[in-house]
Amino acid sequence: MASVKRAYRDSLSKRLTLSQKVFVRSRKGKATKVVQEHYLRTDIPCSSQLCPTCALNPPKDSSGTSRPFVLSSDPPSVKSWGPHYLVPDTNIYMKAMDLLEHFAAFYDVIVLQTTLDELRNLSLPLYNRLRALTRSQEKRFYVFHNEFRQETFVQRLEGETINDQNDRAIRNACVWYCVHLEEAVAGTGKSAPTILLLSDDKDNIKKAKELGIVCTTLETYVRELPQADTLLDMIVVEGDEDAAGPNRYSYPEYYSTSRIQGGVKEGLLHQGILKINQYNFLEGSVSVAGFERALLVLGRESINRAMHGDIVVIELLAREQWKQPSSKIVEEETVTKNDNPEDDMQENIVTAQERKALIEEARQVQHSSAEFRVQPTAKIVGIVKRNWRSYVGHVDASSVPSDAASAHRQSSVFLIPMNRCIPKIRLRTRQAINLLGKRVLAAVDSWEPTSRYPEGHFVRTLGDIESKDAETEALLLEYDVQYHQFTQTVLDCLPKEGHSWRVPADTSDPLWTGRQDLRDLLVCSIDPPACQDIDDALHARLLPNGNFEVGVHIADVSHFVKPDTAMDNEAASRGTTVYLVDKRIDMLPVLLGTDLCSLKPYVERFAFSAIWEMTADAEIVNTSFTKSLIRSKEAFSYEQAQLRIDDKSMTDDLTEGMRILLRLSKLLRQKRMDAGALNLASPEVKVQTESETSDPMEVEVKQLRETNSLVEEFMLLANISVAAKIYEAFPQSAMLRRHAPPPVTNFEVLADQLRVCKGMTLRCDSSRALADSLDNCVDPNEPYLNTLIRIMATRCMLAAEYFCSGTMTYSDFGHYGLASPIYTHWTSPIRRYADVVAHRQLAAAISYETLHPSLRDKPKLEHVCQNINQRHRNAQFAGRASIEYYVGQALKSREIDAEGYVMKVFSNGFIVFVPQFGVEGPIHLRDFGNPEPPCNFDEERYTLIFREGTDEETRLQLFDRVVVHVETVVEESTGKRKVALRLRKPLVE
Amino acid sequence: MASRIEIYSPEGLRLDGRRWNEVRHFRCGINTHPVSSDGSSIIEQGNTKVICNVIGPAEPTLRSRVLLDRVSISVKLVVAPFSTIERRKRPQSDSRIQEMCSSIQHVFEDAVIAHLFPRSQIDVNLYIVAQDGGVLQACINATTLALIDAGVPMYDYICACTAGMLDREVLLDLNRIEESAMPFLTMATIGGTRKAALLQLEMKVQFDRLESMMAAAMSGCHHVRDLMDNEVRKHGKSRLERGSL
Repeated sequence: MASVKRAYRDSLSKRLTLSQKVFVRSRKGKATKVVQEHYLRTDIPCSSQLCPTCALNPPKDSSGTSRPFVLSSDPPSVKSWGPHYLVPDTNIYMKAMDLLEHFAAFYDVIVLQTTLDELRNLSLPLYNRLRALTRSQEKRFYVFHNEFRQETFVQRLEGETINDQNDRAIRNACVWYCVHLEEAVAGTGKSAPTILLLSDDKDNIKKAKELGIVCTTLETYVRELPQADTLLDMIVVEGDEDAAGPNRYSYPEYYSTSRIQGGVKEGLLHQGILKINQYNFLEGSVSVAGFERALLVLGRESINRAMHGDIVVIELLAREQWKQPSSKIVEEETVTKNDNPEDDMQENIVTAQERKALIEEARQVQHSSAEFRVQPTAKIVGIVKRNWRSYVGHVDASSVPSDAASAHRQSSVFLIPMNRCIPKIRLRTRQAINLLGKRVLAAVDSWEPTSRYPEGHFVRTLGDIESKDAETEALLLEYDVQYHQFTQTVLDCLPKEGHSWRVPADTSDPLWTGRQDLRDLLVCSIDPPACQDIDDALHARLLPNGNFEVGVHIADVSHFVKPDTAMDNEAASRGTTVYLVDKRIDMLPVLLGTDLCSLKPYVERFAFSAIWEMTADAEIVNTSFTKSLIRSKEAFSYEQAQLRIDDKSMTDDLTEGMRILLRLSKLLRQKRMDAGALNLASPEVKVQTESETSDPMEVEVKQLRETNSLVEEFMLLANISVAAKIYEAFPQSAMLRRHAPPPVTNFEVLADQLRVCKGMTLRCDSSRALADSLDNCVDPNEPYLNTLIRIMATRCMLAAEYFCSGTMTYSDFGHYGLASPIYTHWTSPIRRYADVVAHRQLAAAISYETLHPSLRDKPKLEHVCQNINQRHRNAQFAGRASIEYYVGQALKSREIDAEGYVMKVFSNGFIVFVPQFGVEGPIHLRDFGNPEPPCNFDEERYTLIFREGTDEETRLQLFDRVVVHVETVVEESTGKRKVALRLRKPLVE
Repeated sequence: MASRIEIYSPEGLRLDGRRWNEVRHFRCGINTHPVSSDGSSIIEQGNTKVICNVIGPAEPTLRSRVLLDRVSISVKLVVAPFSTIERRKRPQSDSRIQEMCSSIQHVFEDAVIAHLFPRSQIDVNLYIVAQDGGVLQACINATTLALIDAGVPMYDYICACTAGMLDREVLLDLNRIEESAMPFLTMATIGGTRKAALLQLEMKVQFDRLESMMAAAMSGCHHVRDLMDNEVRKHGKSRLERGSL
């Protein structure tokens, strides 16, 4: 890449040699010549602890510190090469990042700048992982900037390709290291570690051998290591290009990049995120700006190797080919049961069964007259960005060769991911038999047009299926929850005193400046039972002028977590605390979360207070915010608080204060409802676990008391007040939360269903109209129906999101569900990072402290928002999945009949929701007998009529109440224990 | 594209291999165009190249420019179309060029001992031959040298340098890519003193970081001063030897 125009020593800061990097770049079709300076230096250390010369004068950074030397003086040793430092080629990073991250091997690695730069151009995610490795202290990875060191710099020769030049640079650096280390140990009697070049490039190896460099391929190296079998599986599989026979059918090729770019620009092609229907793996949808409804993508060929979450480019099909969304449950497992992982020479990508499933649907389209159901249909012609990550799943037992002879040969098996939206992944492994019955983590490497399934490689096993640890870890991995322990650097940010940290008694202490002493207020907290991280506390009292003073006190987390510290970065990347049934994955170290920040009763704690003066009608007269010191008088559970309020004999000031709070909260709630706030519902159940073993015992539906809504109202009020304040102070960079109004089309189907089945109307022109019409959806015979409709309406909504105020206009700030023009999260800084940011901004807004620059930096805040939105969503999913798992476990050995409601009707089955356990599950028609009983599916009336055996006809309509038999089985497709439902009898009154 | 470049590596090396406090290679020449001007110089800072011609002090060409008590300085800046990667012609009236001219003019009006030449004019013509960041600093340095060559009495050298702030790291003497990636300031000091003749910052910087940026820029200025001083003394010596003084 570099050619030299001049190279001369010059009077620079230090003795540097100058060279010029000259290359031609094409931009907008024009070729331009770029000249960059390239300084060569001699002070780049080898970073080996063996070397005394480099250690003499280590380079310093602007704060005057120098980096410690990384490579150990006693590197690991293997049989063939003895103690060695590894120098991997770029292709090794591409293939074996999982291996490099493995704790069992790969220590003392020299990462050459050449390879690092190459990797950065090839794959940014891999680059970031490698950078993370170089930061970790255990793995001892050192980045050697060989292109800036005079001795190891190579100039591009005439006619040499960039790849060849890079390879030469790598070899040069190896040679230099060999010589340098020999010199370093000369006279000490020690022998220098071998410099071992790892490369899978034959040419590079050959040339390296000519130079006398010790080198080998990755595979030969790994074979020398203990645990070779496990490690070998972790190498990325390369697409086998020769295997493609001439007559093989394959997926359509993607369009060329230029065609895609041009097409998107002209509006012929569209870009969006693919979502796979969880009930039908052959159906996906892509939401595209400019289309009211999502575009359908039907069938394996149209989906064309895209996976759930990928950003894809699609092309609309002709109008005759438009279809309607499937009215059938299609599971991958039943359709592709007999595929053989070894044999890819199948005649077709799309199998006969899959064709059949599609044809049936096409037929139905023609029968149906419901015009609005036909949706624009498209096919995928390119992929902009893969959403590939590691997937947790289990190995399909039927794909594992059973004969003992092949047990340790490399074989291909299928991994069935836990997530239904992800197709099977083909793994090549030597330990197929050992993997059976285990939760396995695997990564996807590629998906060639000629291969029916994506290719992947094994990463590690998590443990036995259905063992609690493995399932919990699987869940955390699947939802990308960071569950590792806090590192030492994070823990170092905690106060030195630990649990014995106390508020300084002396009020002249600097910690007291700007802090109000509110210890004499009657503050109490109301939380779920056994809550340890108490974020919020409340107080209320009557003022002499007849108004009320109400205070919300929030744990002062920002006092302990200062911006731009290791702890802050960790919290920002975790984003939120994740609550699982038996476990809590904290955002902040336990010391802060459950002790120093937590507003525990009877002790003094720093708080951030919002204090209002309100009239008896809950009109706000005055709002103020202050950092404070409080001493909570009591920590109630919702139930205790309720009992105390209801107990007429209690007339102490604390109870009276709580009564004031309750009265005001009801007024506030009424006001909110009048403004059009929605009262939504979600199927919430709680799993009671045995305290010792945390084995699930009982499933119960969560109870809501008045005190729940008391706390909620004041938290909402505090959040709204804070949002207004920080927006006023920082109009460009306030951390806010918005909930966009859902597009009207989202409610179309639900409204139609209600009209047809129940004769009810659902209006959704505004949140007020929706709230009112939801209130009217009441069937006196079906008390639960209203809740069910609310649950279904909730699913039609968009998700609320954090954003930085400078990125949107004020009119978009609104929170639809709460009917508030502006909103933020401020009240739970122990468990949400957004609240920590809001705390800091509020502190700056009341001039308590200066605002840290990162909270003023719009791009950085946007980045934070993006991350916490993602984390927040994942935390919710993980929580739900955990409940689902435990419900399954709780019902493991029981069989019960329970009431349920039909939530969705397909032509070959229906989905039933069981409120008692908060679960929903499909009932297939095939469960009623083999062959499937004849049925009559009336799509417009959402009715399915079928005859079971010789019984009389069964008629099922949407929203019908049914009795189902609940038991649990291990689902074959996902390996999860799932609730299986069987219809007992429909109840039609 | 920009995200694919690592401006400052965790190992403390910049894109071109320098560390945070190193200036680019600096080369200067004095009396380079003795025929066409009274004083001339050339400055190369990295790949930025500026030629300066000074004409005067002389009779003003326009009567309106005459200042009764002091010399008037007029600065003209020509940016060669080939000086950037993409060839582009810039008109003289380009507002950025105008602004640079006026900054340079103001700096040197205070730097030369102006009252010695009342009712006269000094023309400074700057030609930017190649640009790779730090254009203003190079122009100022070139002007200083050319004025010295022209024998205009000055209080001291005016020497300029840039410093940028990337997150928490100060970087000295930015090149083109670095300039586009971070906020930076241009500073000119009066010789080796701590007095600033110019401080120009066009981007937002957190206030508490300004000081460290200025400190770095100032050390860069002092370094540049030494380099220029060497060149001037070398040139003076050679002229003395030739006896052409």
